[in-house]
Amino acid sequence: MSSATKQVGSGIGGWVGHMVDAAAAIPGHYGNLLAKRRGRTIALTLLGLLALTYPLIYNQFLAGLSRNVFPLPVPDETTMTFMLIFGIMAIGLNIVVGFAGLLDLGYVAFYALGAYTAAFFASPHFGSISIVLFSNVVSGFPGIHLPFWMILPMAVLVAATFGALLGAPTLRLRGDYLAIVTLGFGEIVPVFFKNLAAITFTFTIGGVTLISLQDVNLTGGPLGINPIDPFVILGVGFGATSGVAAVYFAMALTIIGIIVARNLERSRMGRAWGAIREDETAAEMMGVNTVRTKLLAFALGASFAGVAGAFQASYLGATTSDFFQFSTSILVLIMVILGGIGNIWGVLAGAIVLVYIDKTLLIWLGQRIGSVAPDFPNPSQFNFLIFGILLVVMMRFRPEGFIPSRQRAAELSVHGLEEAETAMGVDVETDNVSVAPPGQAELDREAELPSDLDDL
Amino acid sequence: MTTSTMDVGLTGAIPDDEILVRTRGVTKRFGGLVAVNNVDFDIPRRSIVSLIGPNGAGKTTFFNMITGAYVPTTGQIEFDGQQIVYMKGKKLRSRKPHEVTAMGIGRTFQNIRLFGTMSALDNVRTGIHVHLKSHWWDAIVRTPSMLNEEQSSIDEGMRLLELVGLERRPETWARNLPYGDQRRLEIARALGTRPKLLLLDEPTAGMNASETRQMTDFIRKLRAELGLTVLLIEHDMRVVMGISDRITVLDHGEVIAEGNPAEVRANPRVIEAYLGRGAAEA
Amino acid sequence: MVRGIIAFALFQVFGVVFFGAEQFFQTEVIGFSNGLIFALVALGYTLVYGIIELINFAHGDVFMLGSMLAFLLIGPIFAVTVDTPVLLKVGIILLVLGVTMIGTAALNVSIERVAYKPLRNAPKLAPLISAIGMSFVLQNVGLLLAGPGNKSIDNIFGTANILSVFGIEGVTINIQQVFVAIVTIPLLIVLSWFVSTTRQGKAMRATAQDPDTAGLMGVDVNRTIAITFLIAGALAGAAGVVQILYNNTTVWNLGFRFGLNSFTAAVLGGIGNLQGAVLGALVLGFINAFSDRFFSTNWTNALVFGILIAILVFKPTGLLGQQLADRA
Repeated sequence: MSSATKQVGSGIGGWVGHMVDAAAAIPGHYGNLLAKRRGRTIALTLLGLLALTYPLIYNQFLAGLSRNVFPLPVPDETTMTFMLIFGIMAIGLNIVVGFAGLLDLGYVAFYALGAYTAAFFASPHFGSISIVLFSNVVSGFPGIHLPFWMILPMAVLVAATFGALLGAPTLRLRGDYLAIVTLGFGEIVPVFFKNLAAITFTFTIGGVTLISLQDVNLTGGPLGINPIDPFVILGVGFGATSGVAAVYFAMALTIIGIIVARNLERSRMGRAWGAIREDETAAEMMGVNTVRTKLLAFALGASFAGVAGAFQASYLGATTSDFFQFSTSILVLIMVILGGIGNIWGVLAGAIVLVYIDKTLLIWLGQRIGSVAPDFPNPSQFNFLIFGILLVVMMRFRPEGFIPSRQRAAELSVHGLEEAETAMGVDVETDNVSVAPPGQAELDREAELPSDLDDL
Repeated sequence: MTTSTMDVGLTGAIPDDEILVRTRGVTKRFGGLVAVNNVDFDIPRRSIVSLIGPNGAGKTTFFNMITGAYVPTTGQIEFDGQQIVYMKGKKLRSRKPHEVTAMGIGRTFQNIRLFGTMSALDNVRTGIHVHLKSHWWDAIVRTPSMLNEEQSSIDEGMRLLELVGLERRPETWARNLPYGDQRRLEIARALGTRPKLLLLDEPTAGMNASETRQMTDFIRKLRAELGLTVLLIEHDMRVVMGISDRITVLDHGEVIAEGNPAEVRANPRVIEAYLGRGAAEA
Repeated sequence: MVRGIIAFALFQVFGVVFFGAEQFFQTEVIGFSNGLIFALVALGYTLVYGIIELINFAHGDVFMLGSMLAFLLIGPIFAVTVDTPVLLKVGIILLVLGVTMIGTAALNVSIERVAYKPLRNAPKLAPLISAIGMSFVLQNVGLLLAGPGNKSIDNIFGTANILSVFGIEGVTINIQQVFVAIVTIPLLIVLSWFVSTTRQGKAMRATAQDPDTAGLMGVDVNRTIAITFLIAGALAGAAGVVQILYNNTTVWNLGFRFGLNSFTAAVLGGIGNLQGAVLGALVLGFINAFSDRFFSTNWTNALVFGILIAILVFKPTGLLGQQLADRA
């Protein structure tokens, strides 16, 4: 709840002072946690340390080993980086789906936009001009080459703008139609990137040719754009060839993402999202500008995908329209749903686990099975069969995911409700709890005020 | 702000000192059904006014038009000297509900619509939101002004909880509160919007006699201590007769009687509307 | 109605002038045939949405599996070719129709039992997500069975042009296209009759309006929903058979394109409205044919998505409005 019990001084000085106080309070907090829930705190601390040092451990000890040392395969550096890339996206999608309750099925569009922002502005792609600013690239080299600290904010801006643009038509739609519209955009945007590789177009009025394009390659289509400049700080590169450095850069981005999402959650905006999710009409009546709040959810959520896309493009040094399919949107959605709706750590865990399964486990499994039974289908090519079954099973038995936020757990299932309340100290048996099944409130409300206030 | 070009003459932008809400000729049609028909209605400042009538008379629809949730088919609605309903070009427009709330109208609902999985305190804070100024970027960076605002909204929220007697369990989820507490929490949330006018939609529904008495005393206290104007929809005649300065009776969307409790109680049309033709003549 | 006829007439004039008579009419023929196939699938979407307000994402993939089953029967198993005697051909086609329709009907009912029925009281988005999951499962089943490439059979109808009998040159209507009409139109008529006249059809309409009251009035709601899925599945199976015999190819992600178009058709016509679904499907058949022919096949799907978005945003009740269920 509230961490401030006194007024914070104003201005930069006040802000710095507050941050210092908060930082100084951390050891105290940690001591409290240790006292209250010793086992769990220690376990999580060890897990956190392992995660932070794993790239180094891998680099030193594990990289050369054959996979037989452990029963299961160990993720390599590329997989780790992608775990974090998708982690950033899962946190972003969680803002839209988990905080604001808007089912977005087209998240891949923003991922693509971020990647192509990097591709356009940090590569030789626009070869007929040469703009090189603050970059490692030699001056005069063809193409536009901006440094990462320009690319990232640009990617954020592009993704956020499109987030608001693509979210705007959905504002008056209810759940399933909203989902379909977002799905539509999630398909259309990648199609643009795929097809705008050979634009031949002439526009004439009255015999005068105004625009003439002959086989213009804007996006590279399936062949894509490469090479893309890697991010570089003080001479250290963060591309796929830089190994551990890239993983730590991605980790830094992820940590920033967690902080941003967490701060939004614990603010007026977060509460407004929660109110809209619970009862949009009541929220509007209580003075929440639902249009603006929903658009901000879309925009802020999309910006995470923009960052992830821009980093991914620079990391791999290339991008192609094949990376961006509808199934990617669903993959990120699965991470959010499986990991735990509404809970930042839950969705991050979901991302890590799912990328591990997709990029490491299934491939390893495929090799194992292939060596024993070569005709048996390779699980890594049927990953979405497994994910599809996972979705159906999860919806049936645990729709809120494994580590959801308490609010969402309560909203989505009866046992989720009980777990959440037990965690809060409510005695499920004797306390006066609301007995309506989850979803019932939704149905009741639909019956009351007509939900299409489209007179406005 | 918008300019309004109303056909019917109105006082200018200077708020009328006496009348907080003024509606003229408000009508709402849903397809072929006329839910509210040509209602003229004045609510004096600091009065407690009840809106009564048989079920389906159009009371909640009328409420919804005052709050901006519905746009009237025709008519004008003025609040505190400002237009809620106005003409834009040829079309009648209404301010959006969140704008109306910012202007100073708060409401509760017939079926409780709290944010169930938010704490009681957070529910109230959601009402206070409309008067807060910090933005999402302040939230991301946690500027001092945002942190101070958060703290002050907690303080104000706790004060409101205290006002309604719920200060002991501010962290309890709204859905876990007993029914009576939920009703009071809804009022606290509405009060969070710092309203000048409080719309209460059947505040004593489902309450027993003693709870009803408490609620009635509470509404009087709100007017006395906070200077609020209150518009009630109620079915419990004891409450209506006991608390109202004025009563307006709707039937089939039309005003069929208006006046103080004694006048309305004796009005034959009112009796007929509630009890049928025979009872009026009895 | 009148407006529709006038619009159509204007479209004919416009088309002849803009595209040239032969190409225009030929594209219309293709559009009409595709539209009929879309119609069978669109009915499945609209029936299911009408009765339980669920967008059955997996429906297009049920259609795909139907088309795969039909492929298996006609190609590898029965080895029908253009030279097979006509009577035998007809007999096998009828058999394939029967088997496929029963198969997809059974599949659809099972999917409902497993993935949707347990979620009937859950928040609305749970069954939607489950449907998405189911769609992936079915697609991968198709991938498992048939591999990633196209599966083709040879054209079994020959290339005769019906119109040449009337002395018309330049535009072809071949036997496949007649076949499409011969199978789909009676099915549409039977369905319409079923829903409007029979007791079960009335039960479906009642359940679509208000399941609780229907239950109180003695309608077995569970059974009615199951029967709706059965009918929807059977129609999808028929569509699959017609599809493989018309286009001669099937592939594991066939359901995506057909599902997209058929769902858009259902929404265009007014979700829940049967006539609307057919009308919308014909419109979409035309749009597909014209876009493929005169614009670019690369962009057709994006165009259809754009149309879907436009309808949902600007006129979600569709052209003919809702009918099977008159819920807001």
